[in-house]
Order: sequence, then C-alpha cells, then structure tokens
Amino acid sequence: MEIRVRCGCGDSSCPEWAVVELQGAVQPQASFSGDIRGLHIGRLCSAPSPSSSKGGYTFTVGYHELAGTKVTLKKPLLVLRKKKLTGGAADQETPTAAEVELEVIGVIRHKILFKDRPKALISKPPTKEKAAVQPAAN
Amino acid sequence: MGLSQPTGLKSCWADPHRVARHKTTLVGRRRQHPHSISATSRHRLFTFPPPPGYRCSSATSHRGVGESAMEMEMDMEMPDPEELEWMESHGLLPEEEDVYFDDPDEGFVPPPGDSDQPRDSSQPPEPAAPRASEASEGGLKRPPPPPPPEQEEEERSKRRNVEREDEDEEDWLRYPPPPAPEVVVAEKTISRFASEIHGDCVPVTAPNGERVYAKLAMDGLAGGAICGTRQGANFSNPNLSHKGLLSESFHSLTRRAEQEALAKALQESTDSVDREACPVTPLVTEKLWVEKYAPNSFTELLSDEHTNREVLLWLKQWDSCVFGSHIRATCDDVLSALRRHSSNVQKNANNKNFFSKTKGGPVDMPLNAPSSNPEGLGGSFSKRSPVDSTPEQKVLLLCGPPGLGKTTLAHVAARHCGYHVVEINASDDRSASSIETKILDVVQMNSIMSDSKPKCLVIDEIDGALGDGKGAVEVILKMINAEKSNNFDRSTNAEETQARKASRKSHRMAKLLRPVICICNDLYAPALRQLRQVAKVHVFVQPTISRVVNRLKYICKNEGFKTSAIALSALAEYTECDIRSCLNTLQFLNKKGAALNISSFDSQVIGQKDKSKSILDVWKQVLQKKKLKRAGKSESHFSKDKDTDSLFTLISNRGDYEVTMDGIYENFLRLSYHDPMLQKTVKCLDILGVSDSLTQYVYRTQQMPIHAYQPPIAITISRMVAQVEKPNIEWPKALQRSRTLLLEKKDTLKTWQNQMSPVVSRHMSVESFVQDIASPFLHILSPLSLRPVALNLLSEREKDELVQLVDTMVSYSVTYRNTKFAPQERANISVVPHDVPLLSLYPPISDVINFKGYQSEHIDLSLAMKQVLVHEVEKQKIIKDSAGKLLNQGSDGDTRSEALSDIRKKAVADSIAPALHSSKDSTKRNSTTLQMQPNSASSLNGKDPTPAKKHSNRATNFFDRFRKERPANGKTHTDAGQQRATIQRDSRPLIFKYNEGFTNAVKRPVRVRDLLLS
Repeated sequence: MEIRVRCGCGDSSCPEWAVVELQGAVQPQASFSGDIRGLHIGRLCSAPSPSSSKGGYTFTVGYHELAGTKVTLKKPLLVLRKKKLTGGAADQETPTAAEVELEVIGVIRHKILFKDRPKALISKPPTKEKAAVQPAAN
Repeated sequence: MGLSQPTGLKSCWADPHRVARHKTTLVGRRRQHPHSISATSRHRLFTFPPPPGYRCSSATSHRGVGESAMEMEMDMEMPDPEELEWMESHGLLPEEEDVYFDDPDEGFVPPPGDSDQPRDSSQPPEPAAPRASEASEGGLKRPPPPPPPEQEEEERSKRRNVEREDEDEEDWLRYPPPPAPEVVVAEKTISRFASEIHGDCVPVTAPNGERVYAKLAMDGLAGGAICGTRQGANFSNPNLSHKGLLSESFHSLTRRAEQEALAKALQESTDSVDREACPVTPLVTEKLWVEKYAPNSFTELLSDEHTNREVLLWLKQWDSCVFGSHIRATCDDVLSALRRHSSNVQKNANNKNFFSKTKGGPVDMPLNAPSSNPEGLGGSFSKRSPVDSTPEQKVLLLCGPPGLGKTTLAHVAARHCGYHVVEINASDDRSASSIETKILDVVQMNSIMSDSKPKCLVIDEIDGALGDGKGAVEVILKMINAEKSNNFDRSTNAEETQARKASRKSHRMAKLLRPVICICNDLYAPALRQLRQVAKVHVFVQPTISRVVNRLKYICKNEGFKTSAIALSALAEYTECDIRSCLNTLQFLNKKGAALNISSFDSQVIGQKDKSKSILDVWKQVLQKKKLKRAGKSESHFSKDKDTDSLFTLISNRGDYEVTMDGIYENFLRLSYHDPMLQKTVKCLDILGVSDSLTQYVYRTQQMPIHAYQPPIAITISRMVAQVEKPNIEWPKALQRSRTLLLEKKDTLKTWQNQMSPVVSRHMSVESFVQDIASPFLHILSPLSLRPVALNLLSEREKDELVQLVDTMVSYSVTYRNTKFAPQERANISVVPHDVPLLSLYPPISDVINFKGYQSEHIDLSLAMKQVLVHEVEKQKIIKDSAGKLLNQGSDGDTRSEALSDIRKKAVADSIAPALHSSKDSTKRNSTTLQMQPNSASSLNGKDPTPAKKHSNRATNFFDRFRKERPANGKTHTDAGQQRATIQRDSRPLIFKYNEGFTNAVKRPVRVRDLLLS
C-alpha cells in the first residue's frame, strides 16, 4: 500500500526533534492521583555533568538525576502527524486509508541516551536546615 | 610371577657385569662417577674401549685451537648442544658419528697414520690386518672388548699430557710420554658431563652404570665409507696388542668371565623359575625364607581366614564386570579347597598343582547359584545382590601392622581369581601425574599379550608417602566419583553395559573397571581419610600364635634349623606375629649357626619394619595392661622392663606428644582402676600438669630435645592406672572445644568493647572485665528495685534509676535481644510460654561467668521491663548519635551554636511534651547522667580557640537545653522533615523508575500499516 507523506516545510528546514531514551520508566508517584498531563516531568540540561568529560546531558526527574549522552541515530526517524482529511465523512469511525494524511513535522537524527543508573538526590532535612540557619545567623 | 620376570632377567644380565667390573677396577681404576643409572644396551656397547681416536682428536683439536692449556680448557667448557644431542640419539652407531662430526679443525688433522702414531709408537707393528679380521665381529652387537690395560695407561698418560701441552705441544705426538703415576686429574677429554667436552664426544658407560663422556677423535676416521669396519677394527685392536701386565689378553679374560657368568645365571634362573614365585638375584645363594616360603595359593595363606574370604569374595564380585560372565559364585573347586582349608589349617602345599592349574587363566567354571552354596561363603554371598555388575565399593583397603601378609594376601587372592597383579610400591614413582597414567593403564587397558589376563592393581603402602602417595588416592577417588556420577543413567541389563563400554571413551575420566587393592599400615593416616569412606576396609588382625608357630615350625623343619616350639612362640609373640620378622630372624640365626634363645631376644637383632602406630593404638597401649600370660616370677621383672621399653619406643615413635597426652588425659578417668583415696588420680593429674608445663616450656624456648621426657610421663601414668580390660578410648575433644569456645568468647568481648563509647572502653580491658567486673556488672544491669509497671506509674526515684540504667546500658552498648532460648534454659524457665520471644542480654555477658553448676545471683528482669529497656536504649542511642553530629556542627562557632539552640528552642516550644519524662525531672537527671557528654564534647572541641571554661559553660548550657527537650526534639525533627519531604514529593509528581539490567520491551514484528492506520 502506498502511504503518502507530505512535508510542509522545506528540504532543509525540517525541525529537528530529539528522542530521550531512558533505561527505565517515568511514572507518577504512587500517591499521586489525577491527570498526569501537563505535569512537569523534569529538567533536561545540556550542561555536561562534571563526571563525564564528553558533552553530556543531565536529566532530573523526581529525585533522580540521570546522566546521558547524545547519540546519532543510524537511521533518522520522521515525526509524523496523522491528519484526517475533512473531505470524507468526518464522523466516520474507521477512516479509510484515503482519508488519512500524514504530515511530517520533524526529523529525529539524534537521541539522548540515559542508560546509566540514576543518581539519587537525597533530600537531607538537616542540611537544608543548616542552610536555613546560616542566613539567620548572619 | 609375571611381575618378577623382568627382575630375573635383569639379574642374569647383571652378573657378567659384576664380573667385568672387577676387571675394570683391576685394570683401569678409571674415574667413575655414580652418575647414570640407566645402563641401557647401547651404552653397554661402549662400556670399555674408548675408541682409539678420541684422545688423538683431543690432541689435534687442541693443537689447532689453543696455544696454552688454559685456553684449551676454556674451549672445552663450551658445549655443542645440538651435536651432543644428535650423538645421544645415534649413540648406537658411533662409527658414523666419526664421519658426520668432523671437527671444524679438520684441516689440522693429521693423516690416519699420524693419528695412530702416538699410541703405536711403543708397539710399531700394529697393522691394519687385525682390524680387518675383526671387522666381521664388529657387525655383531656384542659388548665390545675392553682395551688392554696398557692402552689405558697410555691413554691416561696422554690425557695428562694434554695438560702439559704448553710445554711440548708437538712432541708428545711423536714420542710416547713417560709412564705416569695413576693419578687421574680432572681432564676434559673424559668428563662426567657432556657439556664440558668441546666438540664431539661419545658416552662411555661403565659396567656399574656410571657414565662418562669421552672426546671423539676425527682424525683417522674421516674416510667414512669404511668406518664400520674400522670401528670394529679399533675395538679389536687391543686384542692383538696385549703386551700388558696380564698374561692373557684382557679381552679374552672378560669374555670368558662373561660366558661363565651367563651360563651360571641361566642355570640359576631356570632352576628357580619352576620352584619359586619370585626368583631373587641368582647371586644370592640362599633365598630369603620369607620369599621362599611365601604362600603360593589361597589355602596356604596364614592370615585370618575370615579376612581372606572377604577379600576373595570382593574380588569375585568383579567377575561379572571383568570377565563378562554373569553371576559367578564360588566355584566348586574353591569351595572344596576352602573346606579343606578350614579343616586342616593351611597344611603344606599338597594342592599346589591344582592351584597352578586354576591360576592359568580365568577359566569359567560351572556356576552355582549362590543359594545352592553350602555353608561358608554361601551365606555371605546371598547377602549381597549378585546381579550387581561391579561391587559397591570399588576399592579394597587392607590395613594392619606389618608382616601379617597383607601384600601376600592381595597377590595370592588376585592371582587366584585370575588376575594379573600389578603392584605399585612405595619405591615406585608415585607422583600424581605418573601414577594417574599408570593406574589408567592398569585399570582400563587390556593387555594384548598372549595371556590376556585382566589386571588387578595392588597399591602397596598407600599411606606411606604423604605428598606423593596422595596422588594415587586422588586418582582413585576421582575415578570412583566419575563412576558414581555415571550411575544415574545406568541400568543393570547387559546391553546398557555394552553401550557404556562403547561410550567410555567419551568420558574424560573413565571409571574403575578393574579391582584395586590398597594396602596400608595405618588406617587412620590423614592421606587415607577420603579413601576410607569409599573403600571396603579390612583390618588385619594378628593370626593366632599357634598358627604362626606351626608355620614357623614347618619352615624350620624344612630348613633343618633346630628350635623349640616355646622359643618359636616366644619369638612370634615378641614380634607380634610379624611373620616376616620372625622368618628373617630365624634365617639370620640359621645362617649364623646360632640357636634361638628366648631370653636374648633383645640382644638379638630382630628386624622389624619401621613403623609408627596410630595414635589410638598408642593410647590403648598406655591404658591397657598387657596380659601376663606365663610370666613366671623370675620373668615378671624382665617383662616389665620390656614393656616399659616397648612403650617408650612406641610413644617416642609416634611423636606428637601433645595429642598423646591429651588422649591420656581425657581417657584415663574412664578406666576403672582401684583408687579409693583418689591418690592415683591426683598423682596422674599432677604428672599431666608436669607434662603440660613441659610442653609449654618446650614451645616457649624451642628446645625440642626436652620432649624426650614426655614418654616417661606417659609410662608413669600407664604404670598407675593401666588395666587389663580393654579401654574404651575416645578421641580427645575437650581441648579443641574449649579452645574454640575461648576464641569465640574473646571475639565477642572484643567486638563488644569496640562498640562501647571510647570513654568507657579505654578504661576497661577485656580480661579485667571478665575477672572483676562481669558479675557486679550483671547486678547493676538488673537492679532489684525496678518494678515491672507502666512507666508513668514509677516514682521519681525509680524513674531516676531507670534513666541511669538506660544510660549505663547505652554507654556500655548493652542491650537486650530476641533469642531463641536453648533447651536447658527452657527447662529452667518453664513458666515462660513457648512462643513468647525471650529477651536476653546482648552481648551475652552472662556467658562469661557461666560455669557448670554455678548459679549467678543476679535476677533476670521481667520481660516487660526488658522490652521497656530495649526501647529506651534504642531511643537514647539515636539521640546520642544525633547529638554527636550536632555537636560537631555546633562547635564551628559561637553564634552558630547559639542560633542552633535558639531554633531548637523554638522547635521544642510547639512540640508535644514528652510522654515519659517531664521537664522537671529531666533537668535533674541530666546533671547526673550526662556529665560525660559535655566532657566528650569539650574533647571534641579541643581545637576551639575559646577559653575552656567559657566553652564548657556554654556547652552545658547548650546541652541542658538540648537534653531537656530531647525526646520531643527528635520527634519534631522527623515531623518537620516528613512534612518537607511530602511537599517536595508533591512538587515532583513524576519519578523515574530505573529498570536495571533488562529491558521490558517486547520485540515483535509490526507493520507500518498497523501503526499508521488504526
């Protein structure tokens, strides 16, 4: 079957996307209830961590800090968006192939791979307190 | 028989050599070194005559090479390894070497005539004709004739001459050197080591096996084509030129002697073959009686009948495996033989013929069903399952004192069952690698010789060598284990066995397919420990004296040696029925022409095999009195002396006195000796104490000779307590047990001490604690006044005491722990329900003062109290830890600590009041119990620049405040911490869960279509 793919942008101006690959899963806290959409996952910094000499990324999720590297994919991936053509019946349950259009919205050439064991960021109440004490003392 | 054959042959060969050696020593007194043992035939070829060329070559090469003797020596030092090697391998044909190994200096080699000049100069008419005549003889492989003495002389002189080389370098070639005294200095023409000879050399082996390397001459033999004849000629040269000291040629003398010896040897060997099992060297005119009268057949065996039968039975169980026959019970012949055997105990060899017939091969005789066997073996056969292809125990271990005929039994029984006996002795190479191949050969291979008897391996004196002997044991064990692992898939039917046989090759370590009999003296030797578990063990017991005496009498009668039965039995008793020793003694006496004398056994040399008995035997000997059978009054003194002597040697032979004394110590009280006033016991213990201090002294000063005083100590004890009845001896365990217990307790105490706060532990040593403090400490830990009630019901005083107790426990790091109580404890405290956990002190200090029959007076606290204490102690510990941390932080500066305490105050203010302690009493308590805390704090703050007084002041202040709210403090802390944590957690609702080591992804083919359109 033939799949038509349309690219709106030009030849070279496709927006670059990136894949974040994790060894593990990002999941909500056990106690958390509610919609997970729109939640702040974590912080991804391109600043290399002091431990790794190469250009690395740090990703902080919850109380874990992950260190990763940027890896070039062997085969670049396309990011597609499925569009339903409005020409057909809009309320049809199963759209046929002709009614679906795929649009390229990005190219993925790199991925950021976090494969190492995460570092735990342990919150120490005494230390925080101490930090709080110091300004008070001064 | 088969085994001994080679020795017989060897001895035949040895004889001419012996004769020949006499000649050599007569003539040459050449330098002979006890070097090589392997007098192989090829070396024998060169036994005597150094090829005439070689000295010349040394000369010529020297002439070419060096100007000075020194230089030559140095040259000689340089070996020519490849050449030597080649020579070695081609040693059989030395004449060819002459061709191939032309010296590099060949340019200097004089013509052949020249080379002979020096030797022939004394006897000019040495023609080439004799060489030719001898050429035919040269082809024969015969020991070449030795050179005539005078030639040797010449040779030597020439060799010596080499040393004076620098003086007359050329002259010596032309003129014969002056006769020299028979001093052979170390020259490099002949050397023990081939490497010392420069250039080519030839190994020369003396008849006694000593080998030297002689330098080879290249000169006259460069011709090459005629080398064979020439060589023969060279060897025969001496034959004609015998103008030496002897009237007859040395060569002919040797040959005649050789022939005579050969004839003699042949005759002797033929004589002996039909008469005896093991022909000894024919030179010995009289055989050892031990060998001469060794049992040849099963019925002649002197050892215990039961053991004999068991061994035979075991061997028979191999039949189905080895011979392939199915069930082979005892055949009729054997049974009848055995019956005869048991009826007339081992009479002379009237049925020898019969047995020699059966020995001929594993002829399958008509089989009897085991049940049909009449008495005797039938019973024991039916006990075992006869279907078993191989016996359960693959190895037979015979053990017993020397001279009882273990080896003989093994040999006789194996031969009787149709095996070819292969013995590995203590004198063989018994390293693990060599023995493995040997055992594998024996056990798995079949001989391709005409008599394809299966082999039976007899490993004699397997306990003898410690390091090497283990090799055999290990190999056997490995094979047995391999067998066991194979046993799983093994079934009993025959096809399976065949299949296994076929697949045997695939296994790395094949299993035992042939019987292995191990023989040892000490069953409990450490090397045999593992073997003992898998082997079928038979302990040899002494045959009855009457049996031994009967046999001795028979032998004496045959040998015409006059003795009395009494003397013989005394001898047998003395040697403990060691028949070998008896026979050797008798033969010795017979040879000397002396009579056997009872009273002079000690003075007479009774050869006994060097033995050390097992430690159990030693104890038994010490603790058991020997029965004085017919010791008359006159004899009793003598026998006592003898006993003492034998005990002394026994104990001192054994050596490890510590164990000996331990065993005596632990076993002597079990004896039932008559001692109403306990005087003997006290004395014995005293003596043992002496032994103990002796041992201690010996080990402290390392003066081992003092150990010599240990046996008398044991003998003294033996004199006092030894009884006639058999002692029930157990291995001493008390020392070991108490030693481990001591170590264990020391260890726990040590770790405990380390856990204590240093303030306490540095003033307390473990020893002093155990000796002085332990008992009072337990009293302190369990005060009587403490009522087991709820904490808030306690009075002020009681609360004080509780706090104090908790503090003591914390600083000594003592707590209670759940333990499963031991049964004897349960018996004491029967009131405690079974399932209630028992709290006991940890570390178990009470154990330290726990003695048998001693009841410690301190009372145990009630369970509820203990639980409270545990709780309190834990709490206190945590508080102390955090206090220590805070202290470190607080010591940074004044202001900070102040601020800290302020914050604490604030935190305390809104916290709940402690449940246990009201703030009122805690102030009081703090002042008493926590004095040390400030001290330690100040010691920690030693670097603090602030004045000590002020510091300590502030510290107490700080601690007061801190201590006051201590219980609440922690709580608020944790509360606050928890709150903060929850807030933080809520702020990051997503967490990362790391999947370690694997991926959860499921890989399966997916079509793009499915992804896109769905």
